[in-house]
Amino acid sequence: MSLEEPDPRSRDVGETPEGTVDYDALEALLGETALDREEHVNATAFVVRPDEVQEALNALRDEAGFDYLSNVTAQEYADRYESIYHLKKYDDPTQEVGVVVPTVTDAPVSQTAEPVYRTADWHEREAYDLVGIEYDGHPDMRRILLPETWQGHPLGSDYNPEKPQVVPFREHANPLQPDSRGEGAESDTMFLNIGPHHPATHGVLHVKTVLDGEQIADVEPDIGYLHRCEEQMCQQSTYRHQIMPYPDRWDYVSAGILNEWAYARAAEDLADIDVPEYAQVIRTMSAELCRICSHMLALGTFALDVFGDFTAVFQYAFRDREVVQNILEELTGQRLMFNYLRLGGVAWDIPEPREDFFEMVRDFLDGLPEKTTEYHNLITSNEIFQVRCVDTGELPPETAKQYGATGPVARGSGVDIDLRRDDPYGYYEELDWDVVTEDGCDNYSRVLVRMREVEESAKIIEQCVDLLAEWPEDEREIQSNVPRTLKPDADAEVYRGVEAAKGELGIYMRSDGTDTPARFKIRSPCFCNLHTLREMTEGEYVPDLIASLGSLDIVLGEVDR
Amino acid sequence: MGLAIQGAPLPERIVELLPFGSGPLGTAIAALVGAAIVGTLMMTMTAVAGPWAKRKVTAAFTDRYAVNRLGPFGLFIIVADAVRLLSKELIVPDGVDRPAWDLAPVVLAASALLGFAVIPMGSGIHLADPEVGLVYVFAIASIASVGLVMAGYASNNKFSLLGGLRAVAQNLAYEIPLVLIAVSVVLFTGSLQMSEIVAAQAEPLVTLGAVSIPAWYAFVNPFAFVLFLIANLMEVGRNPFDIPEAPTEIVAGYQTEYSSVYFVLIYLGEFLHIFLGGAVIATLFLGGPAGPGPESIGLVWFLVKIWAVYLFTQWARSALPRLRIDQLIEVGWKGMLVLALANLVLTAVIVGVIA
Repeated sequence: MSLEEPDPRSRDVGETPEGTVDYDALEALLGETALDREEHVNATAFVVRPDEVQEALNALRDEAGFDYLSNVTAQEYADRYESIYHLKKYDDPTQEVGVVVPTVTDAPVSQTAEPVYRTADWHEREAYDLVGIEYDGHPDMRRILLPETWQGHPLGSDYNPEKPQVVPFREHANPLQPDSRGEGAESDTMFLNIGPHHPATHGVLHVKTVLDGEQIADVEPDIGYLHRCEEQMCQQSTYRHQIMPYPDRWDYVSAGILNEWAYARAAEDLADIDVPEYAQVIRTMSAELCRICSHMLALGTFALDVFGDFTAVFQYAFRDREVVQNILEELTGQRLMFNYLRLGGVAWDIPEPREDFFEMVRDFLDGLPEKTTEYHNLITSNEIFQVRCVDTGELPPETAKQYGATGPVARGSGVDIDLRRDDPYGYYEELDWDVVTEDGCDNYSRVLVRMREVEESAKIIEQCVDLLAEWPEDEREIQSNVPRTLKPDADAEVYRGVEAAKGELGIYMRSDGTDTPARFKIRSPCFCNLHTLREMTEGEYVPDLIASLGSLDIVLGEVDR
Repeated sequence: MGLAIQGAPLPERIVELLPFGSGPLGTAIAALVGAAIVGTLMMTMTAVAGPWAKRKVTAAFTDRYAVNRLGPFGLFIIVADAVRLLSKELIVPDGVDRPAWDLAPVVLAASALLGFAVIPMGSGIHLADPEVGLVYVFAIASIASVGLVMAGYASNNKFSLLGGLRAVAQNLAYEIPLVLIAVSVVLFTGSLQMSEIVAAQAEPLVTLGAVSIPAWYAFVNPFAFVLFLIANLMEVGRNPFDIPEAPTEIVAGYQTEYSSVYFVLIYLGEFLHIFLGGAVIATLFLGGPAGPGPESIGLVWFLVKIWAVYLFTQWARSALPRLRIDQLIEVGWKGMLVLALANLVLTAVIVGVIA
């Protein structure tokens, strides 16, 4: 069920027959562009001159098949600034390569990657905003998270956090242009601020909209209202204990354990920590429970956007999500901010009596098919719903890849990527389940993908429960032996992603030999998915804009971090 | 004789009860008293429907309890809500077009209330019975659209403006089919007078032993009945046609900027419109106040029928997605209008052949 060409494509440059990356071939491909090689924990990276970024990225994309710019990390060293482009392939995300672009500390300017990968637009704006690197040739070099009037770049070394910065209302009002005719009095279009306070923006999102009648002439999401310095807070916290509670607060709508896993996986790779198999099974089960929670919420709020007021679907979705929340509460002691994973395992074992817990989970799984049928009767088979959602908010697969879309948004466009299968971690490899894709590329497909993924998650949970129930009592090791103070090797760098509810949630960390990371960068799937909004909605109607926004299933806490 | 008294409009009977004689003054006072009775009845129903029944019904559809703290079944929430809503600050935004902005809620509520003047509610409650009663109801109810445009345009808010424009587009799309379907009923009765329309439905359609099915037009022409129900949903603006308000899209449409008393008036107008729609449906298709038992309890049956229509709108609201405005216009002009015309021609042929 994929739109991609099924024929066995010829191998890319630098791809070995085993499906790994031959970095020597890539170095040869880059030729003189590659100044140096760096070994990161996840992949090799090539150092490139700041004015040859596009040349290098073009070669890697067109010749070597790296069609997925997963993340852009910017950071400041004592002697230089650095932008790292983390490249992957949609066909095989285990094939990774980094492109490191050092720039001088005095007025750092680097060539933009935006013409090569559209998604770099927002990533580079964020790098400019928080770290202070300017990107030459960037179409829209503005701050993205902080207000336009902000002084300094918070993750730069010369930033003074003590200096109070008050952004008065008139400055805040600045992006809220008066609702007036677009482009002067003669224009036929109308400018409309949708948000930051609007019933359907799923948080504080501001969408600058230009309307031609009811049709969308232009939209521009304006984000940053919920920026909480999550990266900075993680940089000030210790690997071993202090960082883990934060991921729960990124995508805070019950996807907590999925987020925690992103940090756990990156940190475990960085510090080379093993995780006992038993803990991996528990992690897999709890993560999938979170995924069901998150998809139920996405379904309910999408129904809210399309149906109108508080409707039956919304309440049904919440009712069923509640059951999962109760299970998670039994397991972790929390309903929202779980803080359940630990480096090297999980916090504690299945609660005693174990049989009761397993029965609770099995009861939920047994009731799920009936509920799924109910949802399909109420939602997807409703003709009005189909008229509203089929062929609206279209996102062709090529566009989705250009924007670095992942998760249900990419899979709803027929892009067959799922890190649980393609870049296996946890216990997923041992279990029997399928990756769901739909070819419609529209709002309807994205809803279908989420609904079917709930069923797949249920399959995974069922197998995990069976495994856990039969696990020998003396082999139930929930944590490996991890030093109390964790100090990974100095200058070790890692970028690792997991399949969170909304797509690839990646963490970049650089260690400087202390017990806190020198740079902690979050690659948020919602951030990249939201970037596609303009492509999806141009020329469509206001209600379709709302539906498309709902189908992206963004959580502003994760977009803004 | 009994029927004659039953059918006599309410003010004429009040004249007999009041000591002011049957001169112009006495008639006027009697008319006011009659209007007050009908108005109070409808307002009371709205008060029950808005803060209480709506919540309870929606809750039943969505697996919740809703209000249950104040009084039996939470009924006293009506008082609490009235106090709450009326004691809120009336916020007048900058730049609103004053007389129009203030008048709009009044126009909305009044247009619905005026419609009840010609509805025969049984038990002798019938304010006036002009020969053009049906036309009067549609004409008065349509004035609400003017109120919506006034509210949308005068609010100085783009969401309101979009809502107002949507309301007009929607109004044009449903009003013509609505009237055409009603005309098909008039073809049967040969009269626009409400009492005549009700009387025409009193005949038995078929008698199966002891059970006699009356000639309600819902049974005579179910096709027209279903069409009218749908057109009526458009008129009262409930899902799938709550497009002018569309809370998730344009915040609250034309009513975005209204608060406090004006908000109450707008809501009052909306609920009155739902009940007026129910009253028209009951009169045209469900035999008005007809039902088992003596004629004196006609009002009970009439209220049962309009509450049934109300429940139907709430059901649709809980269960159905909302159409897009362009899709609604398509449904109205390409679907409903064609079907309404077909229904009209068909009815004309049948009536012509029988008569």
